[in-house]
Amino acid sequence: MHKESAIREPLILGHKTYHDITEDVCRSIEGKAPKAWYIMLGIAMLVGLYGVGCICYLLGTGIGTWGLNKTVEWAWDITNFVWWVGIGHAGTLISAVLLLFRQRWRMAINRSAEAMTIFAVFMAGLFPLIHMGRLWVGYWVMPIPNQFGSLWVNFNSPLLWDVFAISTYLSVSLVFWYIGLIPDFATIRDRAKSPVAKKAYSILSFGWSGRAKHWNRFEIVSLVLAGLATPLVFSVHSIVSFDFATSVIPGWHTTIFPPYFVAGAVFSGFAMVQTLLLILRKGMKLEAYIHTKHVEYMNIVIMVTGSIVGVAYLTELFISWYSGVEYESYAFINRATGPYWWAYWSMMTCNVISPQLMWIRKLRRSLLFTFFISIVVNIGMWFERFVIIVTSIHRDYLPSAWSMFYPTWVDIGIFIGTLGLFFSFYLLFARYFPVLAISELKTILKISGESYKNGTAPGHNDHH
Amino acid sequence: MGTTKKYWKGLEELNATPQFTERADREFPQELTVDQFLADDKLKESSTGRRDFLKFLGFSVAAATLAACEAPVINAVPYVVKPEEITPGVANWYASSYYDGYSYASILVKTREGRPIHVKGNRDHGFTKGSVNPQIVASVLSLYDGERLKGPHTSGAETNWTSIDSEIIKGLNKAQSDGKKIVLLSSTVISPTAQDVIGQFSAKFGGAVPMMNVAPAVVPADAPEGEVENSAVSDNADSASNNKVEHIQYDAVSYNGIREANLATFGKRIIPSYNFAAAKVIVSIGADFLNSWLLPTEFTTQYLLNRNPDGAFMSRHFQFEANMSLTGSNSDMRGMLKPSEYGKALAFLHKEIAGSAVADVDTSSLSEDTVAKLKMAAEELKANKGTSLLISGSNRKSHQVVVNAINIALNNYISSINLNEEINLFVSEDAKMDRLVKEMNDKKVGAVIIWDTNPAYSYAGSEAFKAALANVGLTVSMSRYADESASLCTYIAPDHHALEAWADFNPKTSHYSLAQPTIRPLHNTRGSVESLMIWSGQATHVGPDSTNVHDRIQQNWEQYGFAQQTEYLDFFSYWNAHVHNSCGSMEIKAPSVWPFNADLAAAGKDMASVVGSDWEISLYQKASLGIGLQAGNPWLQEMPDPITKVTWDNYVTMSPADMEEMGLSLEVGQESPSSVVTVKVGEKELTLPVYPQPGQTPKTIGIALGYGRGEGGQKIGRSAYHTDFFGKHESGNNDGRRSIGANAFIIAANGILELNADSITKTNDVYNLACTQTHSTVMGRNSIVKETTLEIYKSQPKSAYNHSHMLHSGWNHDEKHINEFNLWDEHPIEHVGHRWAMTIDLNSCIGCGSCVIACQSENNVPVVGKDEVRRGRDMHWLRLDRYYASDVEPTVGTKDDAKFDEGGFAALEIPSDNPKVIHMPMLCQHCNHAPCETVCPVAATTHSNEGLNQMTYNRCIGTRYCANNCPYKVRRFNWFNYPSYRKFVEVNPAQDDLGRMVLNPDVVVRTRGVMEKCSFCVQKIQAGKLEAKKQDRKVVDGDVTTACSDVCPTNAITFGDWNDTESMVRKSSQEDRAYQVLEEVGTKPNIWYKVKVRNDHNEALASIQVAHEAGHGEETVESGPTQEGHGDETHEEAHH
Repeated sequence: MHKESAIREPLILGHKTYHDITEDVCRSIEGKAPKAWYIMLGIAMLVGLYGVGCICYLLGTGIGTWGLNKTVEWAWDITNFVWWVGIGHAGTLISAVLLLFRQRWRMAINRSAEAMTIFAVFMAGLFPLIHMGRLWVGYWVMPIPNQFGSLWVNFNSPLLWDVFAISTYLSVSLVFWYIGLIPDFATIRDRAKSPVAKKAYSILSFGWSGRAKHWNRFEIVSLVLAGLATPLVFSVHSIVSFDFATSVIPGWHTTIFPPYFVAGAVFSGFAMVQTLLLILRKGMKLEAYIHTKHVEYMNIVIMVTGSIVGVAYLTELFISWYSGVEYESYAFINRATGPYWWAYWSMMTCNVISPQLMWIRKLRRSLLFTFFISIVVNIGMWFERFVIIVTSIHRDYLPSAWSMFYPTWVDIGIFIGTLGLFFSFYLLFARYFPVLAISELKTILKISGESYKNGTAPGHNDHH
Repeated sequence: MGTTKKYWKGLEELNATPQFTERADREFPQELTVDQFLADDKLKESSTGRRDFLKFLGFSVAAATLAACEAPVINAVPYVVKPEEITPGVANWYASSYYDGYSYASILVKTREGRPIHVKGNRDHGFTKGSVNPQIVASVLSLYDGERLKGPHTSGAETNWTSIDSEIIKGLNKAQSDGKKIVLLSSTVISPTAQDVIGQFSAKFGGAVPMMNVAPAVVPADAPEGEVENSAVSDNADSASNNKVEHIQYDAVSYNGIREANLATFGKRIIPSYNFAAAKVIVSIGADFLNSWLLPTEFTTQYLLNRNPDGAFMSRHFQFEANMSLTGSNSDMRGMLKPSEYGKALAFLHKEIAGSAVADVDTSSLSEDTVAKLKMAAEELKANKGTSLLISGSNRKSHQVVVNAINIALNNYISSINLNEEINLFVSEDAKMDRLVKEMNDKKVGAVIIWDTNPAYSYAGSEAFKAALANVGLTVSMSRYADESASLCTYIAPDHHALEAWADFNPKTSHYSLAQPTIRPLHNTRGSVESLMIWSGQATHVGPDSTNVHDRIQQNWEQYGFAQQTEYLDFFSYWNAHVHNSCGSMEIKAPSVWPFNADLAAAGKDMASVVGSDWEISLYQKASLGIGLQAGNPWLQEMPDPITKVTWDNYVTMSPADMEEMGLSLEVGQESPSSVVTVKVGEKELTLPVYPQPGQTPKTIGIALGYGRGEGGQKIGRSAYHTDFFGKHESGNNDGRRSIGANAFIIAANGILELNADSITKTNDVYNLACTQTHSTVMGRNSIVKETTLEIYKSQPKSAYNHSHMLHSGWNHDEKHINEFNLWDEHPIEHVGHRWAMTIDLNSCIGCGSCVIACQSENNVPVVGKDEVRRGRDMHWLRLDRYYASDVEPTVGTKDDAKFDEGGFAALEIPSDNPKVIHMPMLCQHCNHAPCETVCPVAATTHSNEGLNQMTYNRCIGTRYCANNCPYKVRRFNWFNYPSYRKFVEVNPAQDDLGRMVLNPDVVVRTRGVMEKCSFCVQKIQAGKLEAKKQDRKVVDGDVTTACSDVCPTNAITFGDWNDTESMVRKSSQEDRAYQVLEEVGTKPNIWYKVKVRNDHNEALASIQVAHEAGHGEETVESGPTQEGHGDETHEEAHH
């Protein structure tokens, strides 16, 4: 067993036993849900249904129900897509990259972060589908044998790369998440009293018996999947950024995009994890497992990635001037001073200035401040995508085609609707799935548990 | 009586062989296997009885019927007897002539399977030489307007021709017997046959032909046809009014001033023909001769002949005007005048040129800038005596008298003005209409027949006219619509659409032409000439296939035209040749100077009486709607105005400075509504939104005529009315529909389109204008538009005005042309097969918009309505970009760096007060390295081996990535299902059965969710190639054209095979002026533009372009063998 330095802050506060962990996590599944859960789920589902209604209207009537025009042919659709994909980044980063780096603090947050990833990628995937003019022939982007003779997809197109990247990312993340869930499902199955729940969880747990062989395989698979998922963390958003980077549009055609997008994605992903976890720990009384130290760690990640994003913004500005290309430099002058200046400066304020406040220890350990900043960062990151997409194309080469974009109620409805769907999924997850990785937490209990570290745990010494 | 004859089919029958008798009763030689089939014993045990069988049968029939109900109905009816000249899939072209009382042109009509689907100019025959305007091109759609009257109407109820004819004849006889006058009220009739019929009509009811009292000297002695000129009656107006029958020709826009002035100065009430091609200096005071003044179809072609900088000379064009007109936007030098200063400017020119001042006219109030420009114009005119031209757009006699005096002083009557060759259009006499109203009120008029004119809409005293019409016993209209005037008449005997009827025309003294029907009448209508013939007993009604008019025209042409010529021996070859060409050629009379006898003092007095006010109005005609004849035509309504780029609307144009002063909104955009003002003239008020118009003379406003049609909700076409967000007509007056814009005719008194406003007041209302281009300047981007002056073009090398982009590469910093850098492999299109390419000469393009409509017609481009245009979703495949120069740019696209450092981008965004203007057709550039092609995930847009950027609609999944990645923003997305979605019911012709007939069967109608764009008219390319193949020869110039290049009145667009070294397009693309838009992006387009050359003095531009050349001269290197042939110049990208 590992021995952890005494000066490290414990990861599990107070005195918890293995049984306590199981109890704490399963309480929400086995007990009755609080009224607040029903209210929140009700609101989220209503909003989600409204979004579904808007999507149906969109599909029935046409893309014209959005505010797009002949100049700005992507706006909220792709903004939302990139935003959700970005949010979907944190989960896999936490579970895969931090696993490889053996960061134990990830154990408290990885399960819910991965769930968030999955749901966010669902939301993200929705947009490229519904943004198509003819969704019903959308399967043509698949390189499948077809009745059109030798007709094949266009491998030059970054949109095609997107299809592969997103679907790979989604499937690997899903498998990774599910593998981790299996032992915990088995725990719930073993504790379940109602026959329905027992049946359901036994199906979900795939006959897990907790044998050493199982654990052995479990560890190996986790490691392999972590290895697979790690490059995906970097590839997905790089590829998403290629949609813009490979184009000829000033403000899109930028080689800095891949690293800048990945940093931005981690930035926004962690912010969303913060938002969700701060609510979750309070609502489900998990303060012992997710506490200030966890929040602080994540805030540091936000600070670092936020700084990278800030540097990228400034680099873009410099390069646009240094390139001497009039269209390029105008694109950035227009961002800062044109009709969408407010979007640009919202982005700059939210993404460049706000994370720098995390240098102050007191602030980065303040839960309320963290919650506030996490929301600010996500607003900022939404604006970043909006600024990149809309302000670049609304005034590109030919001034005769310059135009503005105004969202319609359908644009707004679908975006709000995906938020509703996302939270609906997340709330259902919180109610029926183990929100913390029970089995993994147990592995660090005796290393990083407060009572074990400071020797106050009963019978603590027996272990040595 | 019975017969004993025996008929037999064969010997067997005759002989009645046993085999035959055995088989005779059996239909089938072999036994059917029914028994075998039914032999199964189990069947006998079957419980299906008769009733069950009937049940099953009934069910099956019902089921089959129900299933059949769901099958789509395909209205494809094959020919029972195929007409000889029609081959399905192959278009037939018919030569014809277009005249609507306003525009005239020789045209070609394309028909497919008997349906006219496209109209373009006839380049081979007629004096208009292929020139058309958007209204002529769009007229084919009006043929299929569902609101055209489908039969004769009496008091609003449908009736039949027999009864309407008998009632009208009864009415006419009654008027005659009551001793009351019969008035035929029409627009100018230039048809010799119609004039002949009218003459006989008059003879029948009036007892005498009213034109008899015309002085014979006025009729050219050698006139090929015997009809007397109606135009010559003016000096006998009073005597004419005593006739029993009077033909009053009334034009909505009058040119009475020119005719009266010529009567005063030359003794002839005529409009002479003008020859812009003979003028080295053209000075126009408020005459929009490229767009609406007199005969723009002819003038445009003439004007352009000398606008080629490589020609013998390039004319210099001065324009002085209040509104920024289409003509003004193309001028070399443009001065801003108030309408009240037009006379002063003429007086000033007269003093400078003829030496004497025009009495009473005080020219001291003209601004310094105007005086300087007028002086320059006067100098140039004087320097080019005999090869110059001065014209004025004013309808005041006094102005035109002074114009005549100056032209006499300039000796222009031997060259650019021909008094012997008259323009027969616009014979309207303004006083006659007023007199008619008076006579109707005095109950002197017993019958009024209104034909091809709409005074209840376009007459300034329309209210008085409407009231007076009630006093007339018999009111008949021959309108195609139950329009403002027709709906007031008891009887409507609807005329054919022009494409359904025979007609002949005499637009100019020695030009005669024919119009032939291209389709059998769609509805139960009848030609107006035939109606007049029938009512005056010259013919009888025979229904839709009547040849009355045809026979009459033929008879006249045989009698006069054929008799005068020697080329054809028999009439039918003469006739067929003329029908084939649509016109005959006569010798044009040479100009000669007539004795000049003008009363300048009186003219001066009249001019001096024109006093301006705080606000002055100049009414004008738009390229799209003109005087509103086709207000219900959605193509025209959706056509962006060439100058303002506003669609579907009428507005007040005002200078931005004035607007700022009045606190009006200067923004025009999707969510930036315009302010609304009320313009008051006397008792009349117009309430309209205001559009900021650079170049508008301060304290003047412009308002377009032709709007506000159908204010009473009349059925004049569904697209003449506002629709709401869901595509339903908004409600307007009298529970009717709300008409678009306001009728400005009501304020134009006495045919004068320049007038004073009593007040202009801001209202609290706002109004959304739908504009296809909301940014006015090109932001100093000189790889988009390039402009220079003639001096620089003639004296400097190409690099001064048309530089290429060079890049440095390698360790040695070798300069290479940007086209040598490739990210992708070349498409194998060079020197292999065809490579379709186009050049567009910015110097020739006047921005008229005919190409936009021709493209729409050829390619089934949907109409999307005002709300969608406002949202930036216009679907035009070809658009005309209009750029103004800002104060930072000495001319459009050239940036003055010193000024830019001062003002920055903000200064670049604001057009100058009197800006230079460039019109630039923008369409798919068919890039050989197309950014759209690489990004499509499903390869729906690909490159053809002939250089076309192809769009495969049925492969498109609608990601719109291609449109985003297009640097030229020429791709158009089908946001909705335009052919069926409810929002477009009233605007998109593809939504009703009749409107669908205009669709080109060679081009698919695109569905919702797919991208579309210019295809270089690939259907025409294929047809042209096939034709050449059938003839077993190579494709040569002229085999393949695009709709836009075909229709272009100024030949600005050249299309052809670039790989053919002899082709025009190849040569054109290798000229010094040729450049490619956004060359530095590396898209390698197949379209070249050619630098605009303005014939003016532009010191600021010269200092930039010449200095630029001097600074780079020594760097010039010989560049590699670039495909475009530019190369002897150099420029670093960093300089832009």
